[in-house]
Amino acid sequence: MTSSRLSKGGRIDRSRSIRFLFDGKAYSGHPGDTLASALLANGITLFGRSFKYHRPRGVFAAGSDEPNALVTVLSGDVREPNVRATELEIFDGLVTRSQNRFPSLEHDFLAVNQLAGPLFSAGFYYKTFMGPAIGPLRGTRFWMFCEKFIRRAAGLGKAGTSPDPERYERMNAFCDILVVGSGPGGLIAAEAAAATGARVIIAEERPLAGGSLLASGEMIDGRNPAVWAREKAEALASLPNVRFLTRTSVWGYYDGNVLTAVEHVSDYKPNRTKGLARQRHWVIRTGRVILATGAFERPMVFPGNDRPGVMLADAMRRYAIEYGVATGSAVTLFTNNDSAYDAARALSIGGVNVVAIVDVRPDISGTCRDIASVAGAELLLGHAVTATHAGKTLSSITVQHFNAETGRVSGAPREIRTDSLGVSGGWSPAIHLASQAGGKPEWDEDLQAFLPPEPNQNWVMTGSAAGYMDTISVMSDAATKGSAKSRLVLPAVEAPMLDSSPAPVFEIEPAIKSQKAFVDFQHDVTADDIRLAYREGFHSVEHLKRYTTLGMATDQGKTSNVPGLAIMADVRGISIPQAGTTRFRPPFTPVSLGALAAERHGDLRPHRLTPMHDWHLANGAKTYEAGLWHRPMIYSSHGETIEQAYTREAKAVRDSVGIVDVSTLGKIDIQGPDAAEFLDRVYTNMFSTLPVGKARYGLMLREDGIAFDDGTTWRLGETQFLMTTTTANAGPVMQHLEYYLDCVWPELRVHLTSVTDVWAGSAVSGPKARAVLEGCVTGTKVDNDTLPFMGIVRGKIADVPVMICRLSFSGELAYEVYCGAGYGVHIWEALLAAGKPFAILPYGLEALGTLRIEKGHVTGAEIDGRTTAHDLHLDWMLSKKKPFIGSAMVHREGLKNENRLSLVGLISLDNQSINGGSHIVTDPRPREPADSFGHVTAACYSPALGKYIALALVKHGTSMIGNRAFATDLLRDKHCAVEIVSHHMFDAEGSRMHG
Amino acid sequence: MAEPRSPLGKAFVAGDHGNHAAGIGVTLRERKNLSIIQITAWADSIPAVLTAIGSATGLVLQNKPGLGRVAGEKSVFGFAPGRYFVVSATPDLETRLRSAISAELGTMVDLTHGRTVIRIGGPRSEWVISKLFAIDFSEHAFPVAYGRATLHHDIHTNIQRIDDETFDLYVFRTFARSFWLTLGHAAEEVGYRVE
Amino acid sequence: MIIRCPYCGPRDVIEFTYQGDATRRRPDPASSDQDAWNSYIYDRTNPGGSHREFWLHGGGCRQHLVITRDMTTHAISSVAFARSIVAGESS
Repeated sequence: MTSSRLSKGGRIDRSRSIRFLFDGKAYSGHPGDTLASALLANGITLFGRSFKYHRPRGVFAAGSDEPNALVTVLSGDVREPNVRATELEIFDGLVTRSQNRFPSLEHDFLAVNQLAGPLFSAGFYYKTFMGPAIGPLRGTRFWMFCEKFIRRAAGLGKAGTSPDPERYERMNAFCDILVVGSGPGGLIAAEAAAATGARVIIAEERPLAGGSLLASGEMIDGRNPAVWAREKAEALASLPNVRFLTRTSVWGYYDGNVLTAVEHVSDYKPNRTKGLARQRHWVIRTGRVILATGAFERPMVFPGNDRPGVMLADAMRRYAIEYGVATGSAVTLFTNNDSAYDAARALSIGGVNVVAIVDVRPDISGTCRDIASVAGAELLLGHAVTATHAGKTLSSITVQHFNAETGRVSGAPREIRTDSLGVSGGWSPAIHLASQAGGKPEWDEDLQAFLPPEPNQNWVMTGSAAGYMDTISVMSDAATKGSAKSRLVLPAVEAPMLDSSPAPVFEIEPAIKSQKAFVDFQHDVTADDIRLAYREGFHSVEHLKRYTTLGMATDQGKTSNVPGLAIMADVRGISIPQAGTTRFRPPFTPVSLGALAAERHGDLRPHRLTPMHDWHLANGAKTYEAGLWHRPMIYSSHGETIEQAYTREAKAVRDSVGIVDVSTLGKIDIQGPDAAEFLDRVYTNMFSTLPVGKARYGLMLREDGIAFDDGTTWRLGETQFLMTTTTANAGPVMQHLEYYLDCVWPELRVHLTSVTDVWAGSAVSGPKARAVLEGCVTGTKVDNDTLPFMGIVRGKIADVPVMICRLSFSGELAYEVYCGAGYGVHIWEALLAAGKPFAILPYGLEALGTLRIEKGHVTGAEIDGRTTAHDLHLDWMLSKKKPFIGSAMVHREGLKNENRLSLVGLISLDNQSINGGSHIVTDPRPREPADSFGHVTAACYSPALGKYIALALVKHGTSMIGNRAFATDLLRDKHCAVEIVSHHMFDAEGSRMHG
Repeated sequence: MAEPRSPLGKAFVAGDHGNHAAGIGVTLRERKNLSIIQITAWADSIPAVLTAIGSATGLVLQNKPGLGRVAGEKSVFGFAPGRYFVVSATPDLETRLRSAISAELGTMVDLTHGRTVIRIGGPRSEWVISKLFAIDFSEHAFPVAYGRATLHHDIHTNIQRIDDETFDLYVFRTFARSFWLTLGHAAEEVGYRVE
Repeated sequence: MIIRCPYCGPRDVIEFTYQGDATRRRPDPASSDQDAWNSYIYDRTNPGGSHREFWLHGGGCRQHLVITRDMTTHAISSVAFARSIVAGESS
């Protein structure tokens, strides 16, 4: 038994108990506890096994910098791995599990990995798996063989496979000033900023405001600093221009002063009210940022420094002051700076027994000596810890003489009995966000730390993040950073005078090492790994990081960054600033994918529904998603296959009449005196000659001469057109047109408006289509004279105004009937009623596809961004009378080469269906590898021909007509003998639609 | 003539939803039977178009980005250079605008069927729509009667502020049901009423 | 990233679509000079500093903008409507 709850102290509510599970065992804690503090209070010091070596690990820190104590939180079938026990607030019913151990935390088989230490050293993967062939095993093969064993052995927690039922949401916020952190610097800066009337957001990572004040032994205005902080925070939160967010970690700093944060809205609540998110992803756009992010204490690197019971001195202090937990019954401290004395002072005030302070420095100030003596701790100056010893938990440390100038260890080892060692290697300002923002950090010799860079966006840094290490200077700096004209009266601070500069000692390296000395605890990177990387030629910090994975774990090197750089600088014989540092990248703390996805998952991604959508569903439509649209695929009668259904539907169109929902077609209103001229420029064919009341099929190219989109455009008036586009290209075509009007031809007076959603469209096709219209249209005739092919009339159906254009995609006599979208169902039903005598059938996309394949009409499957008008036999549409977009490039030699793929039809010779995407080959099972000379773009069963057919793009297409080949689908091992035919497979003369 | 059908369909469920036990944070309703006309002025005729809109509707605007006016069911606002929505519950709006705005001044498109107008009101409306749109809804950044064009993921939306806690959201009709569900989902936290 | 649209004000980059190099000039439509067209369609400079680009504010006013942006820092030094800039330059 080592750690335990102190009889008094801490901001926990001792009057209430909380029950939770860790590795199946029940424990209790109090409101205000984290999982780490509660387990420590229960005497638990072993929290997990390490990444590579499966070494036992305990809690090392008390906040977001924790590298070791990662747990998996279970909630029903949902598991969230790698949650820091130091930040996880306990609640009744919380279920947690330790990670990376097999079969249990206490007895871990894979701890034998430690014996294989050299095998897992830096560069292990590269060396083992990318080497030359060894016998039959090539490096990558060997990897494939080993992978599952390694994946099992190495790693952190396992992600769950169940869907996460929790709610996450995004919140957009705007403010004048964002203050990150609410320690003494953040609070004062926010107060000064708020006093100017500016809109202020304060984001605090922890549940309580106060930062370092929460565990300080100082007095502010004669009061407990935590109480002072709480009252200050409450006063700020009550201001109308301030939003105070707690449990909110700002994790990203992006261009334009856009910052991202995650608020833990209800993670810590056992019962949540309806609609409350678990986490809220804030995107904060701010005028100015005040980074009061504090500083992280650094560990020292020495043999055995990862043993459970060894932790940061500041963490030890926080467990005592904030949670009323003693991390041991006989505590020792090991330091290179004064802050450990401040910790010792707080610990002894809190009732923790400090037995010794080991300090690498030969001499220290009187203040520090006094603190040691008041605490009753033995002072070992000019000493260092050179080993740690343990049964299950830390039992003692070895101490030897140490020369801070030379770094040499000497003298006889002495053993000191201790069950908890607090380590302080100095402090690293939390410059992560500033570094993300893009600046290059600057090394400060005095603090032995990287300080924030020169701002390149509108931000300032204050508090210990800016290198101010005592509360008084933190507050006075923060007031001016909050507002240059601040008139805040700062509180009186009583604090011991301590020196904030550490001795430049990062590693204790005794001549004989019996234990590993860790730099990056989470990724199991040792000091020797860094030296090995150096010997193997990885000198730059960027290479070092990638070769050893130093700083690449979920803690992003918060504790390991500077010690790692220091060791590399030392072996290279250069200074730390010469070695440089890597740039920090988002996220500062891990962010759940749920929070990033926010509401955009499951059924809340946007769906686009046509006005007739509900009708389709109510009438047996099976739909599929085409982009964001939901469209009927078939209308199934029971027991039918998809093929049977679309065959039935397509046949109805050829034999009598069918109706299909074409509301998804892109529709663009084009108006203005230059509208016709504009269309002449964007289409390959002429539109200025199109009479009012007529439509024309048009083809657009890209500037490079490749086909872009096709559709019909209707001239509704002298200066007004309605353009239709393919469903998929509605957005891109609009953007294309807007680009030319804005950026190329600003002189044209043309206005564009997307009217896709304004009109519901129903296409009535088949020999009886005209009869159907005659049965319901009023106000106009629809005979061949009034409404010829490509003609447009206006009239009414069931008293609703409609616009009817006679055009055909199916090859039959066909009409598109457009009405206001609100009347879509009304018109659709009226057309069905009028079609009843002719057994009209609604048809879906499959039948639509079948009809157009039979006709050889192209869609996006053929206009695929690689084909030209020539390839698709649409070169007759390329006007020679005028330039148009693509006209200068479309006649390039390479685009007319006979070798190009061009459009043909295929007819199955063996009555087998042809798979879409099949390749066209001469021999489906060649002895030697042979080239494919084309591919199938669309395939179906053709009721009109009684055969399986397809469209294909085939090399030398037209001259191949009459030849036989195979459509071969190697993935599904399906090979179909086909005859290559003209793409016009049905009614080549077009007599049916002109009838 | 038949009543135009709302795209919200079964997704529209009148009554209280979400965490309403703690009070109603927002109220949602669909504004129906509006006439929504988009007017776009040629670059050199914006002031003349504004005058014409003023004479046809009685709502006079100055030429300033996003400026709008609201008078009962009638409203007008700009959301792009020279482009305005003129909205009214009176069916003769289009005729009156057509006679006021000649081809020399600009063009008109009737978007009545193309947009669904959702009104969100209540003390938490700013909070709820801030979940969906990345624009600043505070009153000094977005004053009453002003218009905005923005988007929620793929859903392009025009927004007009009606008063300090009420907004009209104009969404494309085919997205309306999806958007309505998203909006209701976002509002569950504060409790919402559908009228 | 935030882009300050001259009509809509500061907006998130998600509302905008990059529409390419704004320094290139489209050859005379009637020209058949293949080199000029090739250069217009395929050649792009990638300066390590200030550059002019077209961006479409598709999630707002749907206007194309000409943005002058530093390619190394992403700092935007000017934003204007493409229509007025292009019209001004071609007149």
